[in-house]
Amino acid sequence: MAHIPDGLLSAPVLVGGGLLAAAGVALGLHRLDERMIPRTALLAAAFFAGSLVAVPVGPSSVHLLLAGLMGVMLGTATFLAVLVALLLQALLFGFGGLTTLGVNTVNIALPGVLCGLALGPLIRATARPSVRLAAGALAGGLAVLGTGGLVALSLWLSSSAYTPAARVVIATYLPLALVEAFITASIIAFLARVQPGALRPAAP
Amino acid sequence: MIRLLTGVLLALAFIGPAQAHKLKVFATVEGGEVKGYAFFIGGGRAAQTAWVARDAAGAPFASGTTDGEGRFAFPAPQPPTDATVTVDTREGHVASVTLPSSRFGGRAVAATPTLPTDGPSPIDPDARLAALVEAAVQRQVAPLMERIEQLDTRLRYADILSGVFLILGLAGIGLWARGRRG
Repeated sequence: MAHIPDGLLSAPVLVGGGLLAAAGVALGLHRLDERMIPRTALLAAAFFAGSLVAVPVGPSSVHLLLAGLMGVMLGTATFLAVLVALLLQALLFGFGGLTTLGVNTVNIALPGVLCGLALGPLIRATARPSVRLAAGALAGGLAVLGTGGLVALSLWLSSSAYTPAARVVIATYLPLALVEAFITASIIAFLARVQPGALRPAAP
Repeated sequence: MIRLLTGVLLALAFIGPAQAHKLKVFATVEGGEVKGYAFFIGGGRAAQTAWVARDAAGAPFASGTTDGEGRFAFPAPQPPTDATVTVDTREGHVASVTLPSSRFGGRAVAATPTLPTDGPSPIDPDARLAALVEAAVQRQVAPLMERIEQLDTRLRYADILSGVFLILGLAGIGLWARGRRG
């Protein structure tokens, strides 16, 4: 799903995705400090292992992305976490591909980072657990739908013969978005209770 | 946080080693027919999914939709050519498999006796026997090839662990480099 294999995308899309991913990783590296490095690594490991577990849904099978959670907890370092995890998945298991690494990184990380930027401040500032729960769920769900949209967009821009059909994309991504919303909301609610600092990607 | 994430990770690791996420196509030749199915590694079949078979030049010669088990079948191409079966789930998963023309060779031999041979000719029983042997071997070999494909694409627990620890190692290197510079 989010792992587009080699040989499907056109060169401009691959190069554009690569440049965007490089910019994102540079941004993430710039902000990386002692506090963020272990957290980035832990979330990268969670994403690496989590997205190996696939569940059949309809004609396809889906797996967790955790991009919304990463966006809230890591900010721009999400790019780095996703890049490392995707590189290892491509090398160890042949998921996705090396040429599509940049595009896949952007497809997964960018919606997460945007959700983190948009909903992160609300999640950190609010005193009401219900609002935080809703914002966390929104971040998790929207990040998945954003990834679905970007995957479809990259295939469409390449005028590939395999452009996804909107109906099928919605049928497979919507259940995943709901599950991710639930998982993201519960992890964020838990962290807000036991370690609110974990939801703050930048040093105070 | 670290404890929570370690817990999540361990839980995923224990549910997950057999599951994965990649579309694959398995195809084999059986008695002049190409049969196969599309499957997600460890995670079910691609049911009700469009498939198309192309020859070596890229021209489609058969297409259809997989059944509830993700299966497809079509007659072997005549004359034999490299056949590529592509399955597309219409949401970003595409996979294909190529059967080299040599896999259809036995079929070609079986088809030749229909050429002008009046009455019982010496080539006829040989060709029939060749076709029978071909069919029998295919029947016996198909499960093996299926098994090899499964082994080939299985997620190995050791690989998952090495990936996780590679990430942790990178973090260690990063921290060390920071500490030296700071």
